[in-house]
Amino acid sequence: MVEEDTEIDCVLRPMNCEINLLSRSDGSTMFMQGDTTIVAGINGPMEVKSQKMAYDKLSIEVTYTPLTGPAKVDDRLIETYIRESCESAILVSLHPNTMICINLQEVQDSGGLLACAINASCLALINSGLSMKFTIAAVSCMIEKETGKIIMDPDNTQLKNAKAEFTYAFDSINKDIVCCHSVGRFSQSEFLASVDKCKQVSQFIFDFYREITKKYANTV
Amino acid sequence: MEVSVGDVVMPGDSLKDIKSTKKEGKNERENVILGPGLRREGDKVYVCKAGILKRRDPAVYYVDSYQKRYIPSRGENVVGIVTQKSGDIYKVDVGASEQATLSYLAFEGATKKNRPDLQVGDVIYAKMLVASKDMEPELVCVDSQGKENELGVLSSDGMVFTCSLSLVRKLLNPECPLFRILGRNQAYELAAGMNGRIWIKARSVQETIAAANAILAAEYTVASEMQKLCARIEKTLLLVT
Amino acid sequence: MDLQYKTIHPVKYLQDHLEQGIRPDGRKFLSFRPVSVNVSSIVQADSSAIFKLGDTSAVCGIKAELATPKADIPDHGYIVPNVELSPLCSPKFRPGPPSEQAQVLSKLIDIVLSNSRALDLKDLCICKNKLVWVLYCDILCLNYNGSVIDACIGAMIAALKTLTLPEINYNSETGVIVTHPENRKAFTVRTLPVSASFAIFEKQLLLVDPSDDEEDMSSTRFSIVMDDEEEICYIHKPGGIPISQNLLCKGLEMTKVRAKSIRSVINAAISTLNVNNIETNSPK
Repeated sequence: MVEEDTEIDCVLRPMNCEINLLSRSDGSTMFMQGDTTIVAGINGPMEVKSQKMAYDKLSIEVTYTPLTGPAKVDDRLIETYIRESCESAILVSLHPNTMICINLQEVQDSGGLLACAINASCLALINSGLSMKFTIAAVSCMIEKETGKIIMDPDNTQLKNAKAEFTYAFDSINKDIVCCHSVGRFSQSEFLASVDKCKQVSQFIFDFYREITKKYANTV
Repeated sequence: MEVSVGDVVMPGDSLKDIKSTKKEGKNERENVILGPGLRREGDKVYVCKAGILKRRDPAVYYVDSYQKRYIPSRGENVVGIVTQKSGDIYKVDVGASEQATLSYLAFEGATKKNRPDLQVGDVIYAKMLVASKDMEPELVCVDSQGKENELGVLSSDGMVFTCSLSLVRKLLNPECPLFRILGRNQAYELAAGMNGRIWIKARSVQETIAAANAILAAEYTVASEMQKLCARIEKTLLLVT
Repeated sequence: MDLQYKTIHPVKYLQDHLEQGIRPDGRKFLSFRPVSVNVSSIVQADSSAIFKLGDTSAVCGIKAELATPKADIPDHGYIVPNVELSPLCSPKFRPGPPSEQAQVLSKLIDIVLSNSRALDLKDLCICKNKLVWVLYCDILCLNYNGSVIDACIGAMIAALKTLTLPEINYNSETGVIVTHPENRKAFTVRTLPVSASFAIFEKQLLLVDPSDDEEDMSSTRFSIVMDDEEEICYIHKPGGIPISQNLLCKGLEMTKVRAKSIRSVINAAISTLNVNNIETNSPK
């Protein structure tokens, strides 16, 4: 991993986060990736309405609120991605007949919103102390139109020249693909190259999670 | 990633060198006990909570993690609020996903005729008797000898406040000096529930609030600075009273 | 006996089948269900198609309407895909406003359309800033038995491929619109994106074209959409257990083969339509 570090150093926009900032939530975080900012709060495990109850596992409800206006159809897709990704990370069978609510508020979007939202939910989950199988880290990247170069974690201005944009989420144990979303047309080799690169870079995010946990573990 | 005792661990990390030590003179091996935050899958042990991995002799491993939401576990003492009386049971809110039940008969000296006098809204200190993920949690206010043993209704002139579960664990650790230092100059009564609720009663309202604040402030204070913290609070109190 | 076993132990029922190397409906792990396509079966719509994937079936009807364009893209028409999962297709769905799954499906189809660039929205422009076509693609699932996204995309693409739009004369000064319903022009669809779905079970077992029961019990699912040039238009994996890259590659290879066969079925269905048209038109 050492030689790769020097090669792809600083490819991600600077990450920043504050955890446990909401006093009423069971777990919360404000996560920034560059200028893209999301506030996430988690409540639960708590009592569940009988409709949504699953007798063998924890049910997860995700509410994503965009910056302006009510939630639209587009946001349903983000919610689905987050719900299913988190469901794979949490040990859902430990808390049957209960549910957790993951609430996300977009604060600013300057590219890579889905990746930022997934990472924010993961940090909030870590903060909530819910039992998890692994942590997940989402990385976005794009392929530039003219050069065909892969740019990691692009912002809005870079995205204007994108031929294709990808968002991947990886698990922390084997770095396999948990979630995958793409925009634009691309070839198989471009796809595989981007997966490889994102997989390497995801380590930075996992390291960041550990750093944050270390920081807070020592103060408490 | 492989981790060992004392490290900051993340969910998905696996534990290395968990050894069951052989005791001298005994043939069978010592059992390894996996505490909260750890789970076994095959012959590997995985971490499932973020925090600090700790070990206690002989071979108890657990993760010390931050948590706010209470998940019932058997044998823990909790502070709860009675929310409902129905038939032979009280419903008690302990801050978990479900309300806990408390039988009329689970009090010292209670019989079918001689029922305890509990009202909705009363605060009780009780022991978790049944805590299973598939069943309603059940509380009792007696120990196995049928004695009350400090459990039971807490008087209504105290105050209940909530805090994180890790703070309660920190306070109840015998090495934590806060309660001792706090008790040196002011008298107080306190019940700390593992569910992150603390009931406290001191001589006056001011003292109660001051002690509660001291406890909340202890979350981010190391043991060596607790003396200073308490001194400051006592000083303010003397000014007030 | 079989039915009781399935009802009581649904998971074990499936596992026992998988251990024997076969799926409950008799397919091999990597065999797709047969596809059948029927185009222009609804006469009231501007174009329509029914797409059947085994017993999963979806019908798509396209209605073209005139509208003023959005101010920020004055020379683009727009296309509004909408998926309906009614209680008719599966007991999972209740009557009422569209379920979350239906909304997500609609959005996915919208993404596939814009990713693949199968349509040039400029083709829908009649007069810049004034008048454009809006294509309402209503997709109704008739029978929900897994891999619904494949059926929905198939139905919509087949319907789009057969879409004809009447000629419009628009006078930008007077604002008079004259329609010539006899003079219909075919609408160009540049490429045929085809979707294939997969389900993954424990130990990274890959099943193609899963049925509803298989989808429910699978550990994760993903879908791949590919166009004519074997470029990928969309890879959708919302979550579930982590899978290795190899498995995705295998999915990509399978999609290539599958896309070819589905395209030929769609093209065959469209060509029969042309033959019919010539036959009905010639005696006149």
